[in-house]
Amino acid sequence: MASPAGLVPTRARDMLWVAPAAFVILAALPFWGNDYHVTIAVNLCVTLILTLSLNLVVGYSGQFQLSHVAFFGVGAYTSAILAKDFGLSPWLCMLGSIAVSACLAALIGAPVTRLKGLYLAVATLAFSLFVEVVVNQASSLTGGGYGIQQVPAAYLGSLKLSGKSFYAVGLVMLALTFFVLRNILHSKFGRQIIATRDHPGAAEASGINPALIRLMVLVIAAGLAAVAGWVHTFYHLTLNSNLLNPEWTFVWFFMVLVGGIGDTLGVVIGTLLLSLVPEFLGFATGQTIFGIGVLMILVTLFAPRGLGGLIDDLLRQTGLRHAN
Amino acid sequence: MQVLLSGLQIGSIYALMALGFYVIISATGILNFAQGEWMMVAGVLGLTLLGFGLPYPVAVLGSIAGATALALLSELAIIGPLQRRNASPAITLLALFGIMIVARYGTGILYGRLEEPLPPPAGSHVFLLGNNVFVFAQSILIYVSTAVIFIGTDAFMRHTWLGRSLRVAAIDPLAASLVGVDLGKVRLAAFGLGGLIAATTAWLYAPLYAVGYMTGAIPGIKGFIALFIGGLASPLGPLVGGLLLGLLEVSASRYLPSIYSEGIAFALLMLVLFVRPDGLIASARPH
Repeated sequence: MASPAGLVPTRARDMLWVAPAAFVILAALPFWGNDYHVTIAVNLCVTLILTLSLNLVVGYSGQFQLSHVAFFGVGAYTSAILAKDFGLSPWLCMLGSIAVSACLAALIGAPVTRLKGLYLAVATLAFSLFVEVVVNQASSLTGGGYGIQQVPAAYLGSLKLSGKSFYAVGLVMLALTFFVLRNILHSKFGRQIIATRDHPGAAEASGINPALIRLMVLVIAAGLAAVAGWVHTFYHLTLNSNLLNPEWTFVWFFMVLVGGIGDTLGVVIGTLLLSLVPEFLGFATGQTIFGIGVLMILVTLFAPRGLGGLIDDLLRQTGLRHAN
Repeated sequence: MQVLLSGLQIGSIYALMALGFYVIISATGILNFAQGEWMMVAGVLGLTLLGFGLPYPVAVLGSIAGATALALLSELAIIGPLQRRNASPAITLLALFGIMIVARYGTGILYGRLEEPLPPPAGSHVFLLGNNVFVFAQSILIYVSTAVIFIGTDAFMRHTWLGRSLRVAAIDPLAASLVGVDLGKVRLAAFGLGGLIAATTAWLYAPLYAVGYMTGAIPGIKGFIALFIGGLASPLGPLVGGLLLGLLEVSASRYLPSIYSEGIAFALLMLVLFVRPDGLIASARPH
């Protein structure tokens, strides 16, 4: 069974200018936006961290993993529980979240990364369902269906981080995510990831352990998803088990696909489009999900390489870009 | 005994859902996420038709035909074109997920979020079988229908030309197309048969609970988990996987705290995938 790899040429260099440009636009927002805009922007930071890290797994590493939502949700819950029940500082909570999600990824990844294609998808989807069920059932710790309310807010010195000041924290986390992913993709490890995706046999022959590379990718992505969960928890200060709905992974995966798998610029554009357009159209949740479903069908039918691919094709047809 | 009976009851439902997945995946390699939704659509259509005052048998047949038609349409309009273009499994899975969402939330928008029980085809009689053991007429219908549907599907796969093409396509698609099997027709037939099985299951499952736009979610998931537990080698796979999952879940919920019974499907699936990736009923054919 073929991997989603090879759909789109890898263009890691796109990161170089996308990161600062997106950052400047996002950083300017508190000067003109109201609280509602700030909430949208924080949610956008969270979603971007998630889609960028998911792209590392499904795009660069070519693993069709459907468990991203579990690592995000577990990260969010770990932070909330550590802050509320154990009184830990938010920064320690972040380390805790990353540690718990990454350990979970290592635990589940060790056997799962040996599975291929559909089996990998089925096992990881079942895993995220399992996590959702466990969190709902372990109500003494997680509040069950009611979730956790009144998480203590984060402080930096004596400054309470909420609203716009917390948005700055979210932006820093997003920038760190960019930085981490950029450095990974430009390192030897990044080339090992892509080699393992494109030709596991040849990679193994040159002394790479494909299973280990896949596992490390999964663990890193889980850690980043946990950071997204941390941002979510300390901005909203409340959370419930809707965070763990396995449908989210598909929505993020779709955002990655709309932009173009394995293409950072595309992932950013896809995430922006699919997060902001329903918000501005004022859709209710059910309608938004329905609309995303319709889009999923249309995009897979008519633009399977995403918007990036669509633009590429148009440029090629008009002769503005040479076929490579 | 009561545990055994109710385990077999829900296990039969899982087995039927798994059979729908099996028919499609064995012939085409596609895991059709939308299977649970065709069941839900049949249930909601049934309620709607009964609401129009149509006689019961007409509502049953009409709803099954309607849901099967949608399953066929999804193949004709979306999955067929994707497969002809050799779309990657990830793209196909995402398209199927899109179909699932559209069917589920589209029903939610059109029909509303009401949940109502479907009147049971077998009436609401209860039979007492000795001390404290009883069985609903609907449960008996479920046991009998499951047996009939499994035997019928197996016979169809063995003795009709179309069924045999499905099996040949499952073993070797390339060789099948070389001996004149039209893979496009096979795919359409598989989606139709899978939809038909799922739609029929609605009239067995929905009278036990209630039917609304979210009804397809859980049986759909449990169905494919049961299939992967049982294995993809023969229709015995979904049957054994479904019944085993149902029995285990019901006994776990009887004897263990609920957190274990909810997680058992996953635990079993993981165990099977790692110990016997081909499922419990593995094929005798060497790979």
